[in-house]
Amino acid sequence: MRRHTRRVYNVCYRFVGNRTEAEDISQEVFLRVYRTLASYRSAHGGFATWMTSVTRNLLIDHYRRTKRDRLTDSLDDAMPVVESKESSARRPDEQALLGELSGQVQSALTRLSPELREAVILRDLQQLEYAEIQQVLGVPEGTVKSRINRGRIELARILQHMGVRPS
Amino acid sequence: MTWTCDQIEARLSEYVEGQLTAPEASEFELHVKGCPECAPLVASVKSLVREMRSMEQVEAPPRLVYSILDQTLGPRERVTFWQAVGNFLRGLATPKFAYGAASVMATCFIVLSASGISFRKPKLADLHPATLYRNVDRQAHIAIAKSVKYVSDLRVVYEIQSRLRQEENQLQVTPEDHAPNAPTEKKPGQTDDQSHTQPKQQNRANELARQVEMLAAECPLMFERSFR
Repeated sequence: MRRHTRRVYNVCYRFVGNRTEAEDISQEVFLRVYRTLASYRSAHGGFATWMTSVTRNLLIDHYRRTKRDRLTDSLDDAMPVVESKESSARRPDEQALLGELSGQVQSALTRLSPELREAVILRDLQQLEYAEIQQVLGVPEGTVKSRINRGRIELARILQHMGVRPS
Repeated sequence: MTWTCDQIEARLSEYVEGQLTAPEASEFELHVKGCPECAPLVASVKSLVREMRSMEQVEAPPRLVYSILDQTLGPRERVTFWQAVGNFLRGLATPKFAYGAASVMATCFIVLSASGISFRKPKLADLHPATLYRNVDRQAHIAIAKSVKYVSDLRVVYEIQSRLRQEENQLQVTPEDHAPNAPTEKKPGQTDDQSHTQPKQQNRANELARQVEMLAAECPLMFERSFR
């Protein structure tokens, strides 16, 4: 239970960049899993992969619900700011805990489009295989690889724009 | 074939993850080495991927697990202190725990008995290391002495039994040897002196029987154990 909670919470936190929202979405994930457990079929992949898929679907739903708040993101992209709107909700001690570069990477992640963001999170932060990511996202493996590649390049450019130099 | 910047960008992740073939990787590196735009991009992406893969998992807040359990399984009942104590004690009343507790108590009893602690009049001084060592040493010597005495008693009984068996065999053998054979012709003056041996054998058997009786009178327990 704790292992699944940790994994789901990490995916949510990396996607939304906010602890409170990540907690709320994580609870929704487990509630959805609890209610729809009968629909889980082992032929569709492992239980962990299924849970990640439910998590991803709820994150996209959350993103679309709160899309209005992100209309200002296009303005933020043109300005060299260190923190995005979502990460401004992070407390200073959280920033210290995460580490400066990690915090900046997290901040840059929330600026990616959701399709690229979820691909990069699943590959580089959750270290899933391409086949698992394909099952979670429900797209062909070629699309998965393309999204990961574009996501990484876009993330590197955002960090460069933020004045973060690679180590 | 010289790669273009678009091609470099399209296959950047494959290069970072080592999925290019050797010729492709060398062509890739050849372009990057000489391109002022691709070189920093490739370095940034490599560093970024390395950084993200070394980032630690964020710990979920402890209340999240309980909140999830409350929402899925329902809120936990509020119990008073004494109810919690009663639940704990009820949890101990399982066969597994009872067997374990009984084993532990038996072990403690054996250890305390061996250490010489008196259960009727326990004293705190019994727990002193010197007292414990003396008691354990005394118990060990007593146990060894008892076992040695038992083994030597058994040896004595075995020797007596084997001696008795030998004498019985000899007694049985001698009457057969001296059984009336076919009457031989007696020569004048010749006497049959075999009858002289019977009283001597009988005397020896009687003497042995008396000795065994004396021993039995002195060591009643020994004989009880051996003849059971």
